Amino acid sequence: MTTRTYLIKEGYENLKKHGGKTVSTMLIICATMLVLGIFIILLQNVNKNVETVRLQQGLQALIEDTATAEEKEYMMDKIKNIEHVKDVEYLDKNMAYEDAKELFKDQEYFLEGLENVNIFPESFVVTFNDIEYGDEIKSQVEKIDGIYKVKYDESTIQAVIALSKIANVFLLGIGAVLLVVSIFIISNTIKLAVYSNKREIFIMRYIGATNKFIKMPFIIEGTIMGILSAIISFIVISLAYVVLYARLPQIGSSLGVFGFMPYSTLWYQILIAYVVLGLFIGIFGSAISIKKYLKV
Amino acid sequence: MIEFVNVVKKYNHDVKALDDINLKIEKGEFAFLVGPSGSGKSTFLKLMIREEEATSGKILIDGKDVGKIKQKEIPYLRRKIGFVFQDFRLLYDRTVAENIAFALRIIEASEREIRSQTKSVLEMVGLSGKENYYPNQLSGGEQQRVALARALATKPPIIIADEPTGNLDPSTADEIFKTLLEINARGTTILIVTHARDIVNRLNKRVIALDHGKIVKDEERGGY
Repeated sequence: MTTRTYLIKEGYENLKKHGGKTVSTMLIICATMLVLGIFIILLQNVNKNVETVRLQQGLQALIEDTATAEEKEYMMDKIKNIEHVKDVEYLDKNMAYEDAKELFKDQEYFLEGLENVNIFPESFVVTFNDIEYGDEIKSQVEKIDGIYKVKYDESTIQAVIALSKIANVFLLGIGAVLLVVSIFIISNTIKLAVYSNKREIFIMRYIGATNKFIKMPFIIEGTIMGILSAIISFIVISLAYVVLYARLPQIGSSLGVFGFMPYSTLWYQILIAYVVLGLFIGIFGSAISIKKYLKV
Repeated sequence: MIEFVNVVKKYNHDVKALDDINLKIEKGEFAFLVGPSGSGKSTFLKLMIREEEATSGKILIDGKDVGKIKQKEIPYLRRKIGFVFQDFRLLYDRTVAENIAFALRIIEASEREIRSQTKSVLEMVGLSGKENYYPNQLSGGEQQRVALARALATKPPIIIADEPTGNLDPSTADEIFKTLLEINARGTTILIVTHARDIVNRLNKRVIALDHGKIVKDEERGGY
């Protein structure tokens, strides 16, 4: 057995020796990791949907009925030349009617009798490269002759963006709190481990153990706790998401545009976050206690 | 092997635990350090292993100035000195062999060395065949032998024992001293702090007596 193997074995033996404490520590860390995981998943979903909204969003410029074909072409060129405009699509009266039909498919009586007297105006549907410039584009389109109205619901979009920003900050805050809690819990467990191994540590010091030799089993103990908690949390959250995902699309569609991401696009982010977090709190948490309570 | 040059150790309020200590213990010597409680014996031992630092003066162990070694070199200084305690300080959840292997692992010995050295030190202290016993299954004298075997396992040139027979009955104490003499005969320098007046007088070895932090007696073949 090499010294490294021995130290790892000692760390593992410490875990077993402090069984009850180890289990309760890991349960708390798992709980904090699960909460964090839920937030990561929610946030990823929110961000993805915001991104979709960003990409899909645009404005609708209604064209005056009197506009000639040349004028429409001129208007289209003008819009296309506005900075940050991604695409412009012309929507004639028939297409507008079809769109309305799609919109009122459950209440078709609204459109009864309108087949021959199409009241829907022609329009340009303008999409943007970046939603941030929505207002600017809107005001420029409004100035174009022949455009009598611009429909642009910026309040919803801005609200979604603001919400996602708040959610990001909130996650960061929750993450920081949970991180501190986890580090505190691990460091407290290691503190107790240091106390319960006092006799060994005393003998080690007198025999001539190096600092590294004395400290390493505690660091390993903390690291194993962190990694095991990460793996357990990952399994639990993966199972939970996969099971819930089957129901999630229905929930999503009832909320409107919102759609949930499949787990295949999420799992590795969660896994990486958990492993990094597990390693960090394990090493950092035990290092704090060792520095504070283990005078070697 | 062990040299104290004008060593002074003061604690708070200028209380001198050791006051201008000068002495030299040669390689292979066997010496007793005696004196009443509070005379400075424990401080003397603590300074040797750099558990404490001298206020002034110089301590040389195997030619090295203990006060000048860096923090991270302290473990290597301690490996030169096998320490035996009055209360044995064994690990009670480990067998005799594991207690000895524990010391050898600390100095990063190989598995082969651990096996051969454990066998050899247990023979030396007369505990062959008790490798798999737990300390609680042994008598006080046997436990102190395990502690002695552990101190010897790392082959230190010096053994210091702090009241090694303080918890033992006289006949068991005799056996421990006999073992210590045998170890000394193999060339290990031995320094023993003891109150065992009878044994000190009987063994007729060097006796250094401390009182109020000063050496009050240092005799080549002395008595308590």
